[in-house]
Amino acid sequence: MLIYVSRRLLWTPVLLFFAGLFIFSLSSITPGDPAELMAGQRADPEAIERIRDRLGLNDPFMVQYLRYISDAFKGDLGESYRYRGRDVVELLAPRLKVSLELNIVSYFVTLIIGLPLGFWAAMRQGTWKDPTATTFMLLVYALPVFFTAPFLILVFALWLDWIPVSGWSGIFSTQAILPAVTLGVPGAFVFMRYMRASTLDVLGQEFVRTAHGKGMGHMTVNRRHIARNALIPIMTILGFSLAGMFGGSLIVELIYGIPGVARLSLEAVFQRDYPLLMALTILGTTMLALANLFTDIMYSVIDPRIRLRA
Amino acid sequence: MKFASRLLIVGAAFAVMFAIGCSSEEPTATPIPPTATAVPQPTATAVPTEAPAVETSSSVAPTATAIAAATSTAVAEVTVEAEAAMTAEETATAEMKEAEAADEEEFDSRRGGVFKLLGSDPTTLDPALTTDSTSYDIVTEVFGGLMRLTDNPNEPVVLDLAESFTVSAEGTVYRFKLREDAVFSDGSPVTASDFKWSWERAALPETGSPIVKEFLGDIVGINDIVDGNATSASGITVVDDHTLEVEIDAPKPYFIAKLTYPVTYVVSRDNIESGGETWTDDPVGTGPFVLKSYEIGVELVLARNENYSGTPAFLDEVRFNLAGGSAMAMYENDEIDITGIPQAAYERITDPNEPISREVVDVPPEFVTWYIGFNTESPPFDDVHFRRALNYAVDKELIAEAVLGGRVSPAYGPTPPGFIGFNPDLETLGFDAEKATEELNMSKYADADSRPRIVLTAPGTGGSPPAWLVAVGDMWARTLGVDVEFQEVEWATFLEEIDNYRLQAFSLAWSPDYPDPHTFVDVLFRSDSQINQTKYSNAEVDRLLDEATTEQDPARRIQLYQQAEQIIVDEASWVPMWWGTSGKILVKPWIKDFNISPLGGYFLKDVWVDEIDF
Repeated sequence: MLIYVSRRLLWTPVLLFFAGLFIFSLSSITPGDPAELMAGQRADPEAIERIRDRLGLNDPFMVQYLRYISDAFKGDLGESYRYRGRDVVELLAPRLKVSLELNIVSYFVTLIIGLPLGFWAAMRQGTWKDPTATTFMLLVYALPVFFTAPFLILVFALWLDWIPVSGWSGIFSTQAILPAVTLGVPGAFVFMRYMRASTLDVLGQEFVRTAHGKGMGHMTVNRRHIARNALIPIMTILGFSLAGMFGGSLIVELIYGIPGVARLSLEAVFQRDYPLLMALTILGTTMLALANLFTDIMYSVIDPRIRLRA
Repeated sequence: MKFASRLLIVGAAFAVMFAIGCSSEEPTATPIPPTATAVPQPTATAVPTEAPAVETSSSVAPTATAIAAATSTAVAEVTVEAEAAMTAEETATAEMKEAEAADEEEFDSRRGGVFKLLGSDPTTLDPALTTDSTSYDIVTEVFGGLMRLTDNPNEPVVLDLAESFTVSAEGTVYRFKLREDAVFSDGSPVTASDFKWSWERAALPETGSPIVKEFLGDIVGINDIVDGNATSASGITVVDDHTLEVEIDAPKPYFIAKLTYPVTYVVSRDNIESGGETWTDDPVGTGPFVLKSYEIGVELVLARNENYSGTPAFLDEVRFNLAGGSAMAMYENDEIDITGIPQAAYERITDPNEPISREVVDVPPEFVTWYIGFNTESPPFDDVHFRRALNYAVDKELIAEAVLGGRVSPAYGPTPPGFIGFNPDLETLGFDAEKATEELNMSKYADADSRPRIVLTAPGTGGSPPAWLVAVGDMWARTLGVDVEFQEVEWATFLEEIDNYRLQAFSLAWSPDYPDPHTFVDVLFRSDSQINQTKYSNAEVDRLLDEATTEQDPARRIQLYQQAEQIIVDEASWVPMWWGTSGKILVKPWIKDFNISPLGGYFLKDVWVDEIDF
C-alpha cells in the first residue's frame, strides 16, 4: 500500500511536466501577445520589444519552458505579467484559500442534502415520493447558476434584506450562505441519484435479506448494512467532484463578488498572464491527480475486499 | 465517474458561457484609450502666443487657484462669473479671499464620509507605466504633476504643482516656477530636482514605460535615455529648488497639455529606491488622496492626503470593491454608491413611478470617436473610391437613432464636437446612396468578382458582432451589393492583429489623451506615426501636420489641423461612426458633486457625502 502510494506520488511530477508542456505550448500558439497588452494601445514597437526582452519572450520555446521548470522546482512559479513585480504564488494563495473555503462549504451542502435524500428515495421506491423527490432535484439541477444566483440575491438580499449581496468573510459568515446554496444544492442531485442507485443495488443483495431474516432491527440494517455498502461507490466520485466543483464555482464567485481564483483566472486568460495561467493549470492538474489517488485509497479503506498492490 | 465528469464539463461550460456573458461589456470599455478630463476650447490652452517670454502666471494662476479653492459649485460659479466680469487682479484677489472664507465653513460641514464603488484592479499604480483608464483613474488621485486637467470647459489645463511658467521667444524653453508649499504625501517638499529625477527615471529602459517617448520625448535628451545611450537629459535643468527649466526639440504648443498625463507626474525618489519593484504598494505622491490599502482582487482604499497642497478632499475614504459581483443588486443593497444601469433594468429604473428613478444621473457625452478603419494598403481598401463608396452608403443618423437609442451623435470626422479644433464646416461623406453607387462604379472593384473577400474585425467576446456593425454591413449590402464577413476577437488578439496591420477592416474607438488636436489628427493619420493603424499616407497631410506641430499662432494652428482633417475625411480611410456616448448612471442621493467629465474621468476630490439628509 505504502509502495503503491509513493509510486503514484512519484508519477505526479512526470504528469505535471507534460501537462505543463502542453499548456505552455498553448501560450505560444494562441494569438495575443502579453507584451502588447502590457504596453497598451498607444505604445511604440520599440517599447513592446523591450518588454518582450524583459519577459524573456524572445527566447526559443524550449528554453523558456525549461527555465520555467527549473524555476518551478525551486518553488518559483514566476512573476505575474499583469501585476508587475508580484509573485504568482503570492497572488494565488489568498484567492485560493477563499475558493477552497467556498468549495468546502458548498460540498458540505451537497453531501448533507444529496446522500440522505438518495437513501430516503431508494427506501421509498415504488411510492410517489421517490419520483417526486427525484424530479424536483432534477429541476433544481437543471437550473443554470446565472439564473438561481440572481434569483436568490433578489429574494434574500433585496426583498428580505437578510444577507449582503456580495463579499466573503469566511465559511461562518452570512455571506457564505447564498453562494454555498447556489453551488451546493444542484450538485446534490448527482449524489442523490448515485446514492439512490447504489442503495437499491444493495437492497437486493442477499446479505440484506439475511440481516432482516435474522431479525435485525430496521434501523440497524439500514445503517450497518445498506447505507455503509451503498456509500462505497459514492466514495469513488467524491474526490473527482470536489476537483470538478472548482470549475463551477467560477460563475458563483463572479456573481457574488467573492474574491476567489475565478476573477483572477479569467483576467489571466484575457490579459495573457501566462505565469499565472501556468500556476493555475499546474494546481488543477495536481488536484486531479491527488483526487484520483485519494479515491483509490478510499476504496481500500472502505471495502476491505479491495487491496492496492504495487 | 460519468456524473463526475459531467459535473466538470457542465461547470466548464457554464464558466465559459458566463465569461462570455460578463465580458461582453468589457470590449466597449477596453478599446477606448485612457482618458483624462477637459472640454477644451481653442483659446483656453495655457500657452503664450506672440509676445516673447509672456508671464503666464498672471493670466492663468488666479483662475486656476480660484477654481482649486472653490470646490463647491455654488462658490465656483460666483468666482468664475466675477472673473469674467472683472479682470482686474485686485478684484479677483478680494473675491478669492471671500471664497476662501466661505470655503472653510463649507469644508467643515462637508468633510468626512466614505464613497464606495465597484472597480477593477489597476494594471499598475506607477505613473510612468499608466496607459489604461482604470489605472489612470487611481493614479491621478494619488499623484500629480506640473499641470492638471479640470472639468471646466473654458480652462481645461491649469497649474498643479507649478505656480507659473514662462516660455522663451522661440517657444522651446519652458521655465516652471514650482509652488513653495508643494509637498509629497509623506511631508517632504517637492523640488525641481524631484521632477528632473522623475522624468529621467520614467525614460530609463529599466522602467519600461511604453509611452514615455510620446509624452516626454519632446524634451531634449529624453529619447537618448529611452534608447539606453544616456542616463541624464540635458534638456532638463534644475535652476534652483523651485525653478525647473525644460528645453524641447521644437516649439510645440501642445507640450504643456501633455504635462497632465501621468507619465509626467512627480514621484518620490526615496519612495522608489527604498520600495524596490513593489514600491507602488506604498506610493508617495502629491495628489489629493493617498493609497491606504490595496489587496489585489479584493479592495483598494484611498484616504484623504492630509498633506495635499491644494484644498483637501472632503471624503475620508474612497473604497473600490475589486471582487466584483452583481453591481445592480449591490447598489440597491447600499453596498456601493454608484453604478451603471444594465440594459435589462433600464426601463424599470428610468420609470418615473419608481422611487429609484430619482437617483438617475445623466452622464454627458464623452469625447470619443467610434469608427470603422480600413487598412489602406490592403485590397479592396487600397482604392479611395471604394472607401468613399462605403462611407456614402452608411446612414449614420439612422444607426445612431435606431440602433444606439439616440445616446450618441453621428460622426463625420475624427475630432468630436466641443473638442479643441473641431470643425463645424467640415465637408463630410454623409449618407448618399447615389454618390455611393457613383463612387463604387469609379473604383476598380466595381465588379463584384474583382473584389477580394472582406472581413471586418471587431474586438469583443460576445460571440456575435455588435448590432450597429451588422446594420452597417446590411447598408453596404443593400446599397452597393458589397458583402462583408464579420469576425469578433477578444481584445488581446485584436491588439496583436492591429499592431501588425493584419486587419483588413476593423471597428475601434479613440479618445484624446490631452486637450489638443494633435491627439486626434496627428497621432492617427501622420504616415510615420506608430499608431497609424490604417497605414494612411498622404504627403500633403504630413506637411500640414508638421507645420501645425510647431505653429505658434493658435488660430492658424487649428486651421492647419482642420485642413489636414478635411483631406483625411475625403480620402476615407475611416468611416467615422459616432461621437460620444451619453448615458445614465445611478448615484445614491447622499453622494454630492460626483461629476463625470466628457473624457470619462472624475474628480474624487470634489465629491462629498451629505449625511444630514439620509
